[in-house]
Amino acid sequence: MNLDLHNLFGLLTSKKTTILLWLSVVFFTFSVGEVSAQVKFAKSYPASKNVRLQLTNRTGTVTVEGWDRSEVAISAYLEKPAANIVPQSLSGTIVINLVKDNQGRNEVGSVNFLIRVPYSSSVDIETRMGNLNVNNIQGNLVRAHISSEGDITLMNISSGAVVAENGIGDIFFDGEVRREGNYRFTSMRGVINLRIPLESSFKLVATAPSTRSINLGSFSNGDMNFVGDGRRVVGKVGDGSATFNVTNQRGIISFITR
Amino acid sequence: MNCEQCQELISPFLDNDLEETTSANVQAHLALCVQCAKVCEDFAVILDFCREQPTTKVIAPNSQALWCRISNTIETEIKADTAQQTKQKQEEAKKYRFPRAWKFSFSQVASAVLGIALVSSLLTVVGVKNYSAPTPDGGSAIESYAEPNVFEKVLGKIGLIETAQNVRQRRIEQQQAAIEYWNKRVEARRMQWNNHLREAFDRNLNEINQAVSEYTLILQENPQDELSGEMLDSTLNEKMELLREFSDL
Repeated sequence: MNLDLHNLFGLLTSKKTTILLWLSVVFFTFSVGEVSAQVKFAKSYPASKNVRLQLTNRTGTVTVEGWDRSEVAISAYLEKPAANIVPQSLSGTIVINLVKDNQGRNEVGSVNFLIRVPYSSSVDIETRMGNLNVNNIQGNLVRAHISSEGDITLMNISSGAVVAENGIGDIFFDGEVRREGNYRFTSMRGVINLRIPLESSFKLVATAPSTRSINLGSFSNGDMNFVGDGRRVVGKVGDGSATFNVTNQRGIISFITR
Repeated sequence: MNCEQCQELISPFLDNDLEETTSANVQAHLALCVQCAKVCEDFAVILDFCREQPTTKVIAPNSQALWCRISNTIETEIKADTAQQTKQKQEEAKKYRFPRAWKFSFSQVASAVLGIALVSSLLTVVGVKNYSAPTPDGGSAIESYAEPNVFEKVLGKIGLIETAQNVRQRRIEQQQAAIEYWNKRVEARRMQWNNHLREAFDRNLNEINQAVSEYTLILQENPQDELSGEMLDSTLNEKMELLREFSDL
């Protein structure tokens, strides 16, 4: 009886090993299949320091990073069915419009971009769905627009005009506030976090009508007034040279010191 | 010799009235200057023509009588013109003359005064209502939707002023029309989207519709809540944008 049990245990152990082996094979096969289902696209353009990048994506994640080169390097991973990408360099502007380039096609896979541009570039990116990330940009304009869902992350930005708009998703801005600058953040639902230096000076109109949750943190002062039963904060910090307009229809707004 | 001096001497030069030296100088200048040579040539042609055509004086048989007739004709025409102008002036003066003296009864005068007073007050109210500038702090935006007084309500009803609610309603109607248009386009396209995209679109549209319902409800309860009016406007714009942007896919 003891011997039989031992055999049975050995049989079960060997079966488990076999099953595990099979599962590993299946897992790796699918993983490789997943990777091979993507197509890579890469293209570079020589560019001036103040080049403008204008990108309209359908779905997928877009990451734009500033670098210390006079060159725009576009790399993209295209899920199948692969989208058409026809970048154009038009008098100081790099234009990529996947909506236009794929109009009339029934199904188009997501495209995940990683684009490197000179630090002083202007960046104007939008997508119908997916996340947008912009890092280390000091150009005149940074605009990130998501038609529906997705998070917007703007890190280490020093631009005079910043616009971030999304439907459902979070917005995070970490950067400097330039004098006379214009900053607009709009979301339908999510969290808007704005991380700016304590010495920033700006006029503020922040509206969170549904949650009435507007956290000014260290920027709270006597010049700030809650109006409309606490749904909006209007006021100024410092001499109020820049302008901040923040609206979160069904979410919260927070200011954080950088 | 310059051109001016030369051209002054051309006539005596052609008549051989100049001294030899001066004549030689003129000749030398004409040889060099095309412009003066042309003038000289023209003069020479005129002189030749005059020499070839002998002048014949035609003397009127009775010149004094002729001049008398001419002066009479001129005087008659001048008189006729003056008479016509005077007549026109008189007619114009008649046009602007009052046909009769103004005569009003006391009731007519009183009604006119009351009418003028009413119209001027209406114009003042309309002017104040329409041209009051908003203050820049943003806080006044909410106060500017203060309850309209009875007078303003009456004016609004008879269509003399447009109340904030009327403006908002008109704007909403315009936005709804645009939304309807884009929605039709989206409906025609959405079957071609993948499930992931369709679900994301629906979630966002649902979120926007919820916000629209909330603001509409608040505005039904409190039509003077400007902040909700502003948010409703903004939300409807976002809905329009969402539909427009997805209609391209």
